[in-house]
Amino acid sequence: MNSGTGRPGGAVLSGVEQTEVREPNSSGIGSAESGRGGDPPASHGDSGPPHRSLKAATGAAVVLCLAATIAHVFLVFLHVAPANAISQRYSDRINAWVYPVFEQNWRLFAPDPESVNRQISARTMRIAPDGTSQVSGWFDLSGVDNSAIEHNPFPSHTTQNMLRRAWSSYLETLGGDDQPRSERAEMIQQYLRNIAAERVADRRGGSFDSIQLRVVTLPVGAPGPAGRNRPATAAPRPVDTRYLPWWKAAPYGTD
Amino acid sequence: MAPTEPVPTPVPAAAPTPSACDTERAGASTVMRRTPDRVAACFRLLIERPVSLYAAAVLRIGYGLLYLVFLLREFPHRDEIWGPGSPWTPALARQLFDQTGWASVLTLSDSRAYFELCYAAAVVTSALLMLGWRTRAVSVLFAIVVASFHARAIFMTDGGDNLILLMAVYLVATACGRRWSLDARRARLRSTEGPEAHRAPTAGGGVRRHLRDARLCVITVLHNCGMFVIAAQVCFLYGSAGLYKVQGGTWGNGTALHYALNLHLFQPWPALSRMADDHVILIAVACYLTVLLQVAFPFVLFGRLKYPVLSALLAMHVGIAVLMGLPLFSAAMIVADAVFLPDRFYRALGPLWRRAVERTGSRGRGASPGPEAGLVPAQSGPAGQVC
Repeated sequence: MNSGTGRPGGAVLSGVEQTEVREPNSSGIGSAESGRGGDPPASHGDSGPPHRSLKAATGAAVVLCLAATIAHVFLVFLHVAPANAISQRYSDRINAWVYPVFEQNWRLFAPDPESVNRQISARTMRIAPDGTSQVSGWFDLSGVDNSAIEHNPFPSHTTQNMLRRAWSSYLETLGGDDQPRSERAEMIQQYLRNIAAERVADRRGGSFDSIQLRVVTLPVGAPGPAGRNRPATAAPRPVDTRYLPWWKAAPYGTD
Repeated sequence: MAPTEPVPTPVPAAAPTPSACDTERAGASTVMRRTPDRVAACFRLLIERPVSLYAAAVLRIGYGLLYLVFLLREFPHRDEIWGPGSPWTPALARQLFDQTGWASVLTLSDSRAYFELCYAAAVVTSALLMLGWRTRAVSVLFAIVVASFHARAIFMTDGGDNLILLMAVYLVATACGRRWSLDARRARLRSTEGPEAHRAPTAGGGVRRHLRDARLCVITVLHNCGMFVIAAQVCFLYGSAGLYKVQGGTWGNGTALHYALNLHLFQPWPALSRMADDHVILIAVACYLTVLLQVAFPFVLFGRLKYPVLSALLAMHVGIAVLMGLPLFSAAMIVADAVFLPDRFYRALGPLWRRAVERTGSRGRGASPGPEAGLVPAQSGPAGQVC
């Protein structure tokens, strides 16, 4: 769903289907059909020639509808299917049609559901007037989300998707190191920083100059009595704790 | 669905005038006759009869309602998700649009007042689509609204939002306002009040009648194509969701749902999730059933088997909605599944609904004609000749 390497101009599909089809009586479309009747389109009467050209235009519209339908279904199939010889050869055309409106990804909890919970925390730093830096304690952003979801039959996208997808996009675009190597990576980094800074500023108040994130990855234990029945007593041991670099957060909390 | 089978060939076959068609048919030998006849019948269905009008209405009502509920649910967070105050700033959104070719009405201005106006317009549009008021125009607006809001918050969307966006775009092509809508009600009232006044314009000149027939024909084809695309889309969804799961080890050994149930972000009722997680056998069975249902889905649609499969999917989605806290996603899936129920199923619901309405608030309108009256005749006859 995060728009990958989409190209501009993909959005026209439905527009084309609509507008071209909307005007069945416009003159130019049905030239392929108009030859069939044999009569030249002379104006001898008020129902003959307009009727015929109308018929031709309607036929053309029908053909266009069917062609667009077949093409759309075929291209969406190639977009959804795993990469194969056909979709690799025609990737330009597929992408031009599918992106951005028809982009889709139905790998819902597939091939495997995530087997880790991520605990994302943030701390802030403030440079005092005398030049010394003051670093705050860790603020558990994921904890806030989790408690907002608990006992909520209809959780908000802001708690369920915002931080989760920002972090997965960060992993996708920046990978293991924190050096953005593309424009997209820089944008995602900015997004993640904004989320953290806004939440910390909202919840804790105060002003700060920079912010740092810490991501603790907690694996979900294997099923069965060996792996489970203990989360109540002992928290699962983190396999990975990642500290992101300090980021400038100038616009936030400047008072 | 049948409509696309007779793809390009039948058009010339139907193009000749009725007389030419008759002579052709008379001259054809009995052996050659069957396939062309069947193709012609399919083609006539495609151009004359809009299929599954009730299912289209269910999609319209369903997605209009869902988006309305979604917008209202996020009312306290609207600025954070779509507004100028979002961490995904308008500048970032515009930068991404330049890369991807997306567009959104929401990034046209950074003013808060403009955003509130857009939000209000989105709420009104969703409600109007649900009610079916001037459906075709409103469905275009709805598609623009959904695309705009989706694109503005692209990094906050999930599969449910994605499905709603696709359906909103496809619904533009369908005649989803013919049933259970304010438009249908208006047409019904007009046809019962004054049939003469309704018929009058049709008699005024052959050209106008031909234009009307051509328009009807194109609308019908567009609708049928739209419904086919929607059905194919749902099949792709389930097919790929199932086939990608087949490749995963945890779905293979039946533990995938154990992991899914232990994700904190999808655990609104931890006690319930733990309870379900304790039943190892149940989890394994549910895993296999999920994969089986999803993979089988596109193949069972043409037989009786689709009813148990659709029921099982309904149960699965209700389970996801409650256990994983994904009601919007699940509801979007359930509405999409509803496209496969036949019109006779929905027609049977009509009387039940009317009886329920009469029982609760008796307004003395029990004698009103069914939704068919005054609408279906417009589709019959002449449309086919034009094509």
